[in-house]
Amino acid sequence: MAGTPVISRVNVGRRPDQFTLKPEGGHTWRRWRPPLMRRHWLAWRGSYNPKSLRRERRLADKRPLWWTLGLGGLLVATPFMSDQFVNIAAIFCIFSAINVIWTLIVGAAGIFSLATMAVVGLSGYAAAAANVYFGVPWPLMIPIGAVVGLLFGLLLALPSTRLDGLYYALLTLGIAEICRVAISQIKALAPSNSSINNVDSFIPAGWYLQRPGLLIGFVAAFVLLLAALLVFRLINSERLGLLLQSAREDEAFSEAIGIDYRRARWWVFVLASSALGTIGAFYAMFYRSISLAVFSLDQVLLLFAMIVIGGLGRSEGAVLGTAIVVLIDKGLIGLGPLRIILVTFIMIVVALTTRDGLTGVKAQFRAFRNRKKSERRAAQTEKGGEVMPEEATEIADKQLVYRRLFDKRLRDGLKRTITPELIAEHRTKPLGQHSDALDRLLNYFRREEMPDKYAILRVGPLKSCSYRVMALSGSPGHPPRQVDDKLYPTLNEAYHAVFLLRVNDLLAS
Amino acid sequence: MMDATLLVYALYLAAIYSLMAIGISLLWSSVGMVNMAHGATFAIAGYAAYVASDWMVPLVKAWSTGSEATVVLAVLVVLVGMAAGALFGIVIYLVAFLPIHDKPNFAVRSLIVTLALNLATVQALLWSFGPQQKALPRVFGSGRIDLFGVPVRADQGITIVTTVALLSLVLLWLRYSRRGLEIRAVMQNSEGAALCGISTRWTALPVMTLTGALAGLAAVLLSQSIFVNPTAGTTPLIKGLTIALLGGLGSVAGAVLGAILIGFLEAATGAIPFLGQRYVLVLQFAFIVLVLLIRPRGIGGLLDETRE
Repeated sequence: MAGTPVISRVNVGRRPDQFTLKPEGGHTWRRWRPPLMRRHWLAWRGSYNPKSLRRERRLADKRPLWWTLGLGGLLVATPFMSDQFVNIAAIFCIFSAINVIWTLIVGAAGIFSLATMAVVGLSGYAAAAANVYFGVPWPLMIPIGAVVGLLFGLLLALPSTRLDGLYYALLTLGIAEICRVAISQIKALAPSNSSINNVDSFIPAGWYLQRPGLLIGFVAAFVLLLAALLVFRLINSERLGLLLQSAREDEAFSEAIGIDYRRARWWVFVLASSALGTIGAFYAMFYRSISLAVFSLDQVLLLFAMIVIGGLGRSEGAVLGTAIVVLIDKGLIGLGPLRIILVTFIMIVVALTTRDGLTGVKAQFRAFRNRKKSERRAAQTEKGGEVMPEEATEIADKQLVYRRLFDKRLRDGLKRTITPELIAEHRTKPLGQHSDALDRLLNYFRREEMPDKYAILRVGPLKSCSYRVMALSGSPGHPPRQVDDKLYPTLNEAYHAVFLLRVNDLLAS
Repeated sequence: MMDATLLVYALYLAAIYSLMAIGISLLWSSVGMVNMAHGATFAIAGYAAYVASDWMVPLVKAWSTGSEATVVLAVLVVLVGMAAGALFGIVIYLVAFLPIHDKPNFAVRSLIVTLALNLATVQALLWSFGPQQKALPRVFGSGRIDLFGVPVRADQGITIVTTVALLSLVLLWLRYSRRGLEIRAVMQNSEGAALCGISTRWTALPVMTLTGALAGLAAVLLSQSIFVNPTAGTTPLIKGLTIALLGGLGSVAGAVLGAILIGFLEAATGAIPFLGQRYVLVLQFAFIVLVLLIRPRGIGGLLDETRE
């Protein structure tokens, strides 16, 4: 019997099948946090199992697991796929990175900017021009893109606090168009067709569009996506993001407690623009060229469709939406114009049925279920001994709460089984060989509490006695009371009278 | 008389843009949705008018070849275009308004749905009619009318007159009819209107139908000088949206003023030799950016706080 005790799995609580770690009791718990940061990146929660009293550790937010599974799966599976799929995966990574950063602007900062692709395109052009015309080596293109994005972001951010919503969206749309036309007019920048070609890249020229080149492109795009997610996490979940969250919940209140949310928005916008500029330089390197197609309205609308399908304001929504749309748009090329119709169909269905995109479905379903539950409770007209939610907080022993609910359900079930035939059966044979239904009913009666339990009193001498029904007081020292004046000549009739009284009580409860 | 021709052209553009802008502006202020499918309505009405005229021209020609045939054809084509626009407006009402108008996030969700409808319609038209441009018959003739010594292109003149007449009718209807009163009540305060027993659903339906019909009218009128193609709706949509925002969403007078300003700007930009047609959009956007920087809610728009 010595050694560590065998701990059986005990099912306690609402989600007993949830996976938990069972650390040793004496083990000190060290939680790792990234350097220079105050918050932990994994939401571990420790608790004691109320039944086994064992220490348990649970991952409260399982999204990091899904991220690891999804992105890790993509990284592992892609090298074994066809060239076309590798290319699609790389494009997915690039668009996801753009959308994640855009989500930061739209969701976290709440600035409805449509100039995303304009920032990407302009920095891409600047970086490509620096490389092609000034011979800047390709690793330096990335800082150039970031700086151009930063400057452009500063310019775009000027009116962002003054205008709101649609007006700003329109303004940015206009600026995107101005950029497109401006670039198409600068002949020195791009002599042929307004596109800059032969940009130097991290993919060696000989490998471009070959299998090794595609794989390098994919891995680089994957790293870009990870970097974008890191930027999202650093901005959205650290100080800036928390400031902005308070502003999203109540602008006036956050201002009253001294949060300068306009400044925070401005910071997020400028940082995100710089990140978009980096992506722009990457874009130019990835395709080894850049053309005016980046600025097109269709491209912006397609990106918008992606973040809308996934859910505005969440990084997982941006990535999921991108995966769906890119798979349809690039994977099903054989369908022709039908694939855009398919995308729009998904958009319509998602917008009509969900509140915030596919990633918001879980929260929406929970809200729906809770609403239905409370509706059902509100529609309930009789209480029937059940504990109502508002009084349940007053009862410390939750077993009691459940016991009363159980009792109510049991009584409801038994009430349905009471029929004239059942009563007739009891009258003929009060003491025995009962049917199943009658047995269950009698068993329930036997389990009743002592106060007001019925008893039979013999009246008169044994030879010529009669019987009377009494009710016990339930407390020692207090005599039973008389229920009625009726006298029953036989014991069986008295039994049946008690039975009828109980049935009556049950039906009246 | 270069300047006078330019003036007429500017007014012509202003007429068509104001048809689009007023539709978007009315819809935003009464129903609270940005109708991104307005361009699709435009394209659908253009195609409906094209198909109808294709089918009607031989019939009308067989009936008569005189000037009354032209008038009948013009009226029929305009009516078909408006009917198609109104029908598509009802479709938008059924898809983008009715299911979600009382749900959370309505403004964003309806914007998404109408945007998707717009994309889907453009693709569907591309699929069924192909990318070729279709020319509508010149139902208003191609002659010139001499107006106070100014030669005016017939289609431009008729466009201006029709638009002014129909817009006045719409404004009068909004001003004096029972339904118009209800719509204005919803525009001022939708909750208050609902409390007074004005159904949001039954007010939105005529607004959607009306704005659809206006877009249809704009499509037929504009198709007299440009061709009908699947993406024809995009430019009018963007122009209408920008003008509606320039004028201040919800302000009809602002939309008309914005349309006139933009029309003049476009006509002038196109006429100045060193600028030319390709700078039209850039200058327009630059102008709008400038106006929005000075007046963040557009020309006629009030700040929400002021309105409250």
